[in-house]
Amino acid sequence: MKRTVPLIIVMVGGILMMIQYFIPHQASQAVFDYYTEWAPIVGAFALVLGVGSLTRVHFHRIRRRSKNWPYSLAVLIPLYAMPILGLMVPVSLWGGMESPSIFHFLFMHIQVPIQSTMFSLLAFYIASAAFRAFRAKSALATVLLGSATIVMLAQVPIGEIFGPGLQDVGLWILRFPNLAAKRAIQFGVGFGILATSLKIIFGVERNWLGGAGE
Amino acid sequence: MSAVNFWGKMLNVDRRWIFLLIGVVSIVPFLIPVGMPLTTTTEVESIYDCIDSLGPENAIFLAFDFDPGTDAENMPMSVAVMRHAFFRHVPVFMTAYTPLGNGMMMSGFEYVTNQELPGCYTPVDYADWATYRDAGIVDRDGLVAAWEADGHSLPENSVGWVFEGRDYALLGYLPLFHLVILGMTSSIEAQYPEDSHGNPLVEMPMLREHKSLREVDLALTMAGSSACMSWIIYGREKIGLPIAFGVTAVMATDYFPFIQSHQIIGQMGGLRGAAEYEVLMERNGVSATTDKAFTGMDVQSAAHLLIILLIIMGNVAYFAGGFHKQHLMKSGR
Amino acid sequence: MSYDLIGIWVAALFTLAIYSFLYKENPLYRLAEHLVVGISAGYSIAITYDIVVGPKLVDPLIAGTGWVLLIPGILGLLYITRFMPNVAWLSRYPMAFIMGTSMGVGFPLTMKAEVLRQLEAAMAPIYAAGMPWHIVLGNLVMIFGTLAALIYFFFSKPHKGIFFGTGSKVGIWVIMLGFGATFGFTVMGRISLLIGRIQFLLGDWLHLIK
Repeated sequence: MKRTVPLIIVMVGGILMMIQYFIPHQASQAVFDYYTEWAPIVGAFALVLGVGSLTRVHFHRIRRRSKNWPYSLAVLIPLYAMPILGLMVPVSLWGGMESPSIFHFLFMHIQVPIQSTMFSLLAFYIASAAFRAFRAKSALATVLLGSATIVMLAQVPIGEIFGPGLQDVGLWILRFPNLAAKRAIQFGVGFGILATSLKIIFGVERNWLGGAGE
Repeated sequence: MSAVNFWGKMLNVDRRWIFLLIGVVSIVPFLIPVGMPLTTTTEVESIYDCIDSLGPENAIFLAFDFDPGTDAENMPMSVAVMRHAFFRHVPVFMTAYTPLGNGMMMSGFEYVTNQELPGCYTPVDYADWATYRDAGIVDRDGLVAAWEADGHSLPENSVGWVFEGRDYALLGYLPLFHLVILGMTSSIEAQYPEDSHGNPLVEMPMLREHKSLREVDLALTMAGSSACMSWIIYGREKIGLPIAFGVTAVMATDYFPFIQSHQIIGQMGGLRGAAEYEVLMERNGVSATTDKAFTGMDVQSAAHLLIILLIIMGNVAYFAGGFHKQHLMKSGR
Repeated sequence: MSYDLIGIWVAALFTLAIYSFLYKENPLYRLAEHLVVGISAGYSIAITYDIVVGPKLVDPLIAGTGWVLLIPGILGLLYITRFMPNVAWLSRYPMAFIMGTSMGVGFPLTMKAEVLRQLEAAMAPIYAAGMPWHIVLGNLVMIFGTLAALIYFFFSKPHKGIFFGTGSKVGIWVIMLGFGATFGFTVMGRISLLIGRIQFLLGDWLHLIK
C-alpha cells in the first residue's frame, strides 16, 4: 500500500497516457478529457505542501524565539491575510482582489517591486564579476570572452558605430555556432527527460517516494 | 608604490565602488537621452509580420508566463504585442502559467488600458455591453457603431475601444499549465468555464468563433522560465499551433535551434527584442511613439560599454600585475 | 493622498530597501525579503482558490452537478497527510497520479519536439544556388559543430584519436562560442532588469523622466 500502490499508479498512469496519444478512438479521447479536467484540481492542492512547510518552519522560529524571529511574522501574517482579504472580505477598500484593495496593494506595490528589484541586483553583481573574475586565462576563455564582447556590442545601438559588420557578425555567431552548441545540449536534455520519464514510469527511479515516511 | 601593488590594489578595490559606477552609468542616459537608432532582426520581424497579417476573424493567445522578477524584460514585449493586436482588432486570449503571472497579466492589461497614458485603449466590461449581445450585435464593427451611437465617446488619450469577450478575454492562471494547453487543443471552454472576472466563456463571441487552439492563429508565450517549451511540446507538436517566443535575454540564445527548425515563427529576446517590436510598431504607424523598451536601449549601450571596459581593465590588471604567473606557480607549472 | 500615489511611494521605499543591501545588509532589507515570501505565497493561495478550486471543484459540488469531481478533490486533499507522520505515505498517491500521467502524456510529444524535430532540422542542406558564402559557412559550422559538440559531451569513451579526440576539441571551441553568446545575452538581461527599476524610480516616483 505504502510504496507498491503509488508505483503501480505511476506505471499504469504513465503507460495509459502514452498509449492514449496514439489511439484516436472516442473512449481514448474521453479518458484524455477526464484527465485534463481532473489533473488541475489535484495539482492545485500541491500548494498545500509549500504553505504547510513555510508555516511549520516560521511558526517554530517564532515559538522558539530563534534569532531574527520577528521576521517570521512578516512571512506568516501576509501568507494568511492575503487569502482572507482577497476571498472572504466583501469587495471594498479592505476586501476583494481588484484595485483599490489591500490585496491588490500588497501584490502590486510591495510584492512586484521587491521581486523585480531583487532580480535587478544581479546587474551589480555581474558588473563586479566582470572586473574581478572574468579572466582570459586560456585560448578557450579568450574565445568565450571575445564572442561575448562581439554579441554584447552587436545587441546595443552603440555597437553600430564600430561598423555595420559588427551586428552581422554578432547575429552570425547567434544563428550558427551558438545554435550548434545549444542544439547539442538540447539533444542531451531531450534524451535525459525521456530516459528519466521512463525510469520513473517503470519504477527504476524511486527517489520521489522519499520524505513521506517508510 | 610598486607596479604589482598598484595592480593588486586595483583588483582588490571594494566592489561597492563598482556597484556605484554601474548605478551612475544606468541613471545618466535616462537624464540625457540620445535615442540611438535600432535595426530590427528577422527573428522579431517575423512575429510582427504574422500579427500584422491577422484581423478580427483571427485570434491569438498571449501567455503571461513570467513572474515579477522578469517584469522589466517581459512586460514591454507583452504590452507591445497586446497593443498591436488591439490595433489590428485581433481577439486576444490572455493566460498565465503561474499565480504571479496572473498578476502580471492584469498589470499588463491595466497598463495598455490606462486612460492617463497616450495611445491607450478603452476597455468595455463584459456586463456593460450585455444589451448589445442580447440584441445580436456581436460583430466588431456593428458593436462599435452601436456603442458610439448610444453616446459613448473615446476619451482624449484613447485610440480605440476593446470589448471584453469580443476583443480580449482575461483567462488567467490554472495549475499544471502544460495539461491546460493540452486540454485547450480540444476545448478552451472545458479548461476555462469562466474567465478571471467570472464571465462565462461559453457566451463570449470570441470563444464561439475560436472554440479550441486548433482555431487559433498564433500563441505568443512571454516567458521568464522554460514554461515556453510547454507551448511547443503540447501545442505545436500536438496540433501544429504556430508559436512565437518572447523570452528573457538569459534564455534567448537557447531557443535559436527552435527558430531554425521552424518550431517557432520568431523570438523577441530580452529588452532588445521588445525595443525592436516597438520600433516596428512606430515605423508602421501602429503606435505614435516607442515605449519603455526603446528608451532603455541607451542605458543598455552605456552599461554594455562599461562591462566590456571592466572586463578589459580586470584582465589588464591581472596580466600586467603578474598574477597569472603566481597562479601558475601555485599549480606547479 | 490617492491610492496609486501611496502605492508608488511604498514601492519606491521597498525598492530602495532592497538596493540598500548593496551597501550592507540591514533590517529593512531583511523585512522586504521576508515580506515577499509571505505575500507571494498568500497571493498564490488566493488566486488558486479563486480560479481553480472554487469554480472547478467547490461550485459544481455545491450545485450538485459534479459529484465525480470528488475523486480528484479527495486525491488532492491527500497532500495534507504529508504533515501527519502516521499517514504521510498517503501523500504519495496524488504525487504518483500527477507525475505518472504528466510523464506519460509528455513522452511522445517531448520526443517529437525536443529530439525528432531537432534531428530533422540538423540535417539541413549546406549549399543552395545563390546562397551567400557566410550562410554556407554557417551551415557547415551548424552541422559539423553540432556533431562535434555532441562528441564532446559523450564521456563514455576517452577523448582520444581522430574521431573522439579531434571531434571533442572542435566541439569545445564551438561550445565556447555559444556560451560566449549566452554570456553576452546574460549581461544584457541583468542590465535590463536594472533598467526597469530605474525607469520606475526616475519616472513613476520622481517624475524626472517620461
